[in-house]
Formats: sequence, C-alpha cells, structure tokens
Amino acid sequence: MQKLNLTRLVVMLFVLTLLVAGCAKKPVVEETAVTEQPIQEQVLQQQPAVIEEQPVDEAAAEAARAAARIAAAEAAADKALSGLMRIYFDFDQYVLTDAAKQQLAMNAGLLKAAPTVNVQIEGHCDERGSDEYNLALGEKRALATSSYLVSLGVSAGRVSIISYGEEIPLDPAKTEAAWAKNRRAEFNARR
Amino acid sequence: MDSSRKQRRQQLQSVFEPGFRRMLLVSFLLHLLLPVLYHTPWFPKKDSVKPPVYRVNLVNKPVKSPQAGRPEAAPVKKKPVKKVVKPKPKPVKPKLIPPKLKPVTVKPKPKPASKPTPRTVSKPEPTPAVSKAQENALQKRLEELRMAQAKKRAEQERKKQLDVLRAAVAVESRQVKSPVADAPVGSVTGKGDEIGVDERDYVREFITRQWRLSQYQLATRQLEAVVLLVYSAEGKLLHYRFKEKSGNEIFDSSLLRAILKSKDLGQPLQEQTDFTVIFNLKDMLDRP
Amino acid sequence: MKIVRAILAAAVLYFFYAGSAAAVRIEISAPGEQTIPLAITSLLPMGAVQAGVAEEFQQVLGNDLDLSGLFDLVDPEAFLGDAQKLTLHSTQVDFGQWRMLGAEVLIKGGYRFEAGKLTVELRLYDVISRRLLTGRRYIGTPADVRRIAHTFADQILLSLTGESGPFNSRIAYISKRTGRKELYLMDVDGHQRLRLTDHRSIVLNPDFSPTRKELIFTSYDKGNPDLYRKEIYTGRESRLSLKPGLNIGGRYSPDGREVALTLSKDKNSEIYLLGTDGTIHRRLTNHYGIDVDPSWSPDGHKIAFVSDRRGNPNIFIVDIHTLEVNRLTYEGKYNATPAWSPKKDRIVFARLEGSEFNLFSIRSDGSDERQLTFGPGSKEHPRWSPDGRFLIYSLDRGGEKSIWIMRADGTGARKISTKGGHDTHPAWSARW
Repeated sequence: MQKLNLTRLVVMLFVLTLLVAGCAKKPVVEETAVTEQPIQEQVLQQQPAVIEEQPVDEAAAEAARAAARIAAAEAAADKALSGLMRIYFDFDQYVLTDAAKQQLAMNAGLLKAAPTVNVQIEGHCDERGSDEYNLALGEKRALATSSYLVSLGVSAGRVSIISYGEEIPLDPAKTEAAWAKNRRAEFNARR
Repeated sequence: MDSSRKQRRQQLQSVFEPGFRRMLLVSFLLHLLLPVLYHTPWFPKKDSVKPPVYRVNLVNKPVKSPQAGRPEAAPVKKKPVKKVVKPKPKPVKPKLIPPKLKPVTVKPKPKPASKPTPRTVSKPEPTPAVSKAQENALQKRLEELRMAQAKKRAEQERKKQLDVLRAAVAVESRQVKSPVADAPVGSVTGKGDEIGVDERDYVREFITRQWRLSQYQLATRQLEAVVLLVYSAEGKLLHYRFKEKSGNEIFDSSLLRAILKSKDLGQPLQEQTDFTVIFNLKDMLDRP
Repeated sequence: MKIVRAILAAAVLYFFYAGSAAAVRIEISAPGEQTIPLAITSLLPMGAVQAGVAEEFQQVLGNDLDLSGLFDLVDPEAFLGDAQKLTLHSTQVDFGQWRMLGAEVLIKGGYRFEAGKLTVELRLYDVISRRLLTGRRYIGTPADVRRIAHTFADQILLSLTGESGPFNSRIAYISKRTGRKELYLMDVDGHQRLRLTDHRSIVLNPDFSPTRKELIFTSYDKGNPDLYRKEIYTGRESRLSLKPGLNIGGRYSPDGREVALTLSKDKNSEIYLLGTDGTIHRRLTNHYGIDVDPSWSPDGHKIAFVSDRRGNPNIFIVDIHTLEVNRLTYEGKYNATPAWSPKKDRIVFARLEGSEFNLFSIRSDGSDERQLTFGPGSKEHPRWSPDGRFLIYSLDRGGEKSIWIMRADGTGARKISTKGGHDTHPAWSARW
C-alpha cells in the first residue's frame, strides 16, 4: 500500500508538472503577437516629427495654410499607412473569409481617403506545403485581395501584388496558431 | 609480562575515543538495517524468470523435411527394425480396445489347465467318504478358483507383453524424434536414408557463398548466365566453360570470381561430376 | 581422312562429356552476399612523409565508398605484411594474403611531394583473378587531396559498375548562415563550402546547367522574384527572366538548351519553356489552377509538375510536344516537388502527411510506388545525383534544417551539412 501511494504521488506530481508546462506555453505565443505591434506604432511616432519641422514664418502664412492642407493629406496617408490591417486565410485556400472581407472594406475606406498612397499586397503562406506551390498560393492570395479592393472602388493602378510564399513567416513556431498567423496578406503602403 | 599486556591494552583503549564502543554498536545496527530494509516491499525484487532458450542452427539453411538426412533417423539398418517392431504394437491395440474379447480368448486356455484338476480330484476321491453332492460342490469351487488363478496369470502375462511392446514403441519413437522439435536439418530432396548433406545441395551452397555481387552494381536484374563446371571425384575443379554469357561484363566477371573461389569444394564427390550452373538474380527482382 | 578425323574428334568429345558420368543442374538465383569485400590500404609515401595526407585521403575515399553501398570493408586491423608494401604492379602484390582476409578487391597507392606538387599513384586490383582493374596517377597541388580521393572513388565505381560515380561533383544549396537566404556551393561530402551570392534578399531554388559551370536560381534582389543565371567561376550574374510576378522553379533541360519554369505574368502560375536567352519558347500548361515545380524526364520529352487542378496538389506529367497532361499520383492529399531520375524510369516526390513531408518514388506510369524515408522530420526538395544512384534532400527536424544524402532506395541516409546553417534546397551538379 505504501508503495502504491508513493507511485501515485509520483504520477500526480508528473501530471502536475505537465499541466504547468502546458499552461506556460500559451502566453509565449501571445507574447510574440505583442512584440509585433510596436513595429506599426513606430511608424506612427516617426511621422509627426516631419510635421513639426515645418518652419513657422509670419510672411509665409499662405504657405503654412498650404502646408496644413498637405499635412492633412499626409495625415490621411499616415492613417492609411498605419491603419491597413493584414487579413488571414485558411490552409491551402485563397478564398477570402468573411472576417477578411470586413477588414478589406475598412482598408478600402482608408485607401480611398488617402489617394496619394499606393499599396503593395504581399501574399504569405504557412511553412507546410512545397515552397514553389506556396509561392503560387501566396500570389493567388494577393490577387484575391487586390481584386476585392478594386471591386470596392480602389483604383487598380494603385494596387500591386507580390508573393513571398513561406519565406517571411510572422511566427516561426510549428503550431496551428503560428501557421494560422502566417497564412496572410499584408499591406505595404507607399506614398 | 602480564603488566606489559595490561599496559598495551590500556594503550589501545586510550587510542579509542570515549564513545567509541557506543558508536561501534550504532554502526553495526545501521549496517544490520540494510539487509532488513532490503527485504521490505520498498525494494521490489524481480522474479527471476529464466530466459527462454532458443536453439538456432547457423550452419544449415532451413529445409522442408527436417528429419531427412539425419543419420540416427535414417540408416538402412534400422529400417527393418522399424518394420518388425511396428506390426507388433498394432495387434496390441485391438486387445486394448475390446476388453470383452479377452475372456473369450482366455476361456479355452483354462480348459487344458482344468485337465490336471481331475487328476488331483481323482486322488482324494477314494479317501473322503463324503456325499456326491458335496463332492460336486467342492469340485466346482476348486475349479472356479483355478480358473480365476489361470485368468490372473494370463492377464499378468498379457500385461508384461504389453509393457514390453510399449517400451519398444517408446524406444522407437525416441529414436525417430530429433532432440529438437522441427530442427531444420537435412536437405529438401532428402528421403531420410542419406547420411550427411546432399552433394548437389552442398555444391550449390558452396558456390552461392563464393558469389558476391552488389545490387548497386547493376542497372538491370534481368541477367542470366550458364556455366559448366566439371569437378573431379576429389572435389577439385577440372575445368569450367561459360555455356551462355549474360552479356553484362560486371555480372559475368562476378561469376568468374565465384568460380575461381570455388576451385576446391573442400570435400570429395562420389564421382567426377558435370555441374551445369545457372546464375541469375530472380530472388532480387522485387527490390527497387 | 578429314571426315574420319572429325568423326574421331566428335567421338572423343562425346566420350569426354558422356564419360564424366554424373551431370547435375544447379540454379543459383541470388549471390550469397550483396556486398563486395574491399580492402583499402592507406597511401604510402614514395618520398618524404607528409603528415595528414594519407589520413585525409583515406577518410574521404572511405566515406564515398561507404555511401555507395557496394562494399564490405575489410578491417584494416587484420591487414598483413603486403599492406605496408608499395606495390604498384599486379605482379608485386601478394594476392594470397588478401584472399586469406576475404578481400575481393584491393586499393593500393602512394604519394609524393615534389616542388609544391602532389603526385598520387592509385591502383585497384582484383584479388581473385589477380589483375589490375584500374590504375590512375593524379598530379595536383597539396590542397587537392580531397578532390583526388573523390575522383578515384568515381573511377572505382566506373570500374566495378560500368557507371562512373558522382563524387567529384558539387552541390548548390540555399543557406541562411548570414541571416538571409543566399546561394552556396559545397562538395558531395559537405566540405569546401563557398557562398556564391550576396543579394541580402531572398535567394531560392537553384539548378545546375548540365553542360556549363552555371547555375540558375530565383532571387528577390530587385523586389520581384526573378530568375537569375550565374557563372560559377567568373561570378557573372544576369537576370534570365524578369516577367512581372513569379519567375520561379527554373530547371535546365537535359541538353541544357532550354529552361522550364513557372511564370505568373498572366496572373496565374503556368509552366513555360524558356530559351537560354530568356525568350519564351512555349507555354506548356493552361489551367486556372496552380501549376509549379517542373522536372524534366531524362529524354527531355516530358515534364513532371505539381498542379491543384483536381483539388489537392498532385503530380502530373505533360508531354512538351503534344501538351497532353496525365495525372501521376492519386494517393495522399498533398504531393509535391517531383524529381525525375536522370537514369531510371522513376520519379521521386514529397508527400505531406500531417505537417511533415516524406519522400516517395513512383514509376512514370504511376505504378510501383514506394516510400523512401521514414521517421520524424519533414523531408523535402529531393534531387538526384547525375548518375541516378543517390538522392539529396533537405530535412526539417526540431527547427533545424539540414541537407541529407541517401541511396536511391532510401538506405544509407547521412547528413552532410553542418549544424546551424539552416540549409535547404540542394541541387546536384553534373560531373565537374
């Protein structure tokens, strides 16, 4: 009996450590998601500095007003640059999901508000599947995204596409969560 | 002298620390604890299971009829023994199966045995003056007793005979059985009356072992060559001739090496023999 | 008289064969052993002793011959006196000694350093028939020891199989050693690594020209995945195909005159044939699905490729003359990266099961499918050696990507890339 109790204790301890280990993993995945956000925030912080550098001169009030107009346009552009959010796809699929379509509608609004901004859509895949096939699949995803944007009224001349296949994953982990994050289209806005 | 011994003892004792004896006792007890602990359930002992013994024959390849070619199973001398012994047990069986038959066969036997009984009976005839009815009853009883005795004797004899036969059968069955069940010994074509290994199989195995060829040497496996090998009665290669070449230089040269390595079979043959050997790769065809 | 003589001779012959009374027929349908016992003696100095030469030579040659799977090496511990003698002529070799050790073939050799030049004499003997199978003298610089060993290994295979080995060739591959994917070159045993590109972008999927010391690959150097051509010795680099969209998966035809590749200039990936000047010769596929990963048949008349035209990615074969397309694979849900053997009627491909690829091989008529790799890790990007004996592939296991080499039947797998390289996409050159 004593032996039994002892083994039971050991097994329970083992299961407990497993549980603890299993719980500990999830936050790690979330952490990587957080670290990605600042990249976009940096873009936001850098841009206002450009506006503040405008010389304040009484004689050039007219110019200042013109500058303000430019600044407004730039602000819209900034908003577009920072506000375009990536969309996600299902495995081996380039059909847009409903969530992706909603996001694309928002993206289209931002782009229409900032007519100076051109956008390059990057198609990405998860690491499963062959490299070449994924390059083609990434392109299909970028194409599906761009044609949807165009259908929402963004002029076709402003949208270009490129596929990176599985070459630039957001999360290099080999988990379903990481793969889901990597199957995406990104919006690379340029003035 | 005594005083010096005492001194020594005292010296020795002074070397030990005061608590030494107690510590020694504690140490002893602690050590004693170890074997005690060893027998508690905290130290589970594995049941010593004897590992199974596998008999493996590394010399001969497995064949169909294991008994064939075994000297103790086969020799011609023993064959007549089998034939003589085997018929005997057969009649035993019917005797064993119908026990009712026994009395039938036994009854005639006591009859001649009963013949002496009248003689013995006739002797007392005149002496006792007993009534005829009594005499008759007595005779009947005696006869019955004798018959019973005879029966017993006959049965004992039969039992003895049976035991002998059974022993014979047991001996024979032991002879036929090889020491290891299903021992892969002998040759496929063996009839059970040969001694040693079949000559043809020996030569085949010998040359096969000399032949070394890698699957990675050939682009195709559809190759065949026929070679005539003439061996003397001493087992020496007298001459060889390619009857048919495969046309593949690598394959043919591997055969040449095998032949050159088989110049001496290392064992005499019954007579000078022509071996027509067909070399091919049929057993390697299924591999990629 | 002549007739009488002929009859007599026939009679003698008849009696000779009939006279040897017993006649037995034997069929032997497989050799006793499927390896050849080989003794490799170490190189002996023909002049001054140079440390390390014999050891390095032995190591390289032994490794190559072991990979070939042909041999069963005789233990050098057992060698007798003849191993210490420089016998470069078959009459000098004590073959009896070697036969006693069970060797059937024997390698002997010596080296000499003179005026900065390294001379290596090498002999391959048949121990049983006591003759020289092949003899070679190599003259090079002291740095050429490895090269000489590889070349002699090829020579041994030529002598014992009728087909030269692939050991004196190169392997191009993609490595992330610098943090970016760049193109590298190495020997078949993973030594002598050399970086070829400095694009600091993404370089993908190289292929060797079968006739020239030249590579093609895809790079994002100019922003778009374009197909590049690079001359290995001059380092000259140019863009061979720069159509908008994908210019990927370039593969030289067996005669080196055309390149099959995937273009998506019309918003859909299709297989095209390109001239070596970059002009489009022909479009081979026309389907709204994905068509990628071309691989030439050895005769140059057909191309295997991957398509999802029937749903999941599977392998199809297109005849480049009639453009007739036939499906090759039906098993599995995801079959990709076909590689057609340059010698045999076999196509190796990777099949995705779960989240890991394993390599399979199949005949071009879709029969006789066999699994080549097993075990953990994803095996991808199979490519053949120029002689069709070996396969090279990349393995992704535990986050580390490495390059492996194995025999075409899946045996003898070994890693040839070093740790931490993140090496993928190997391609095997023709004989160098």
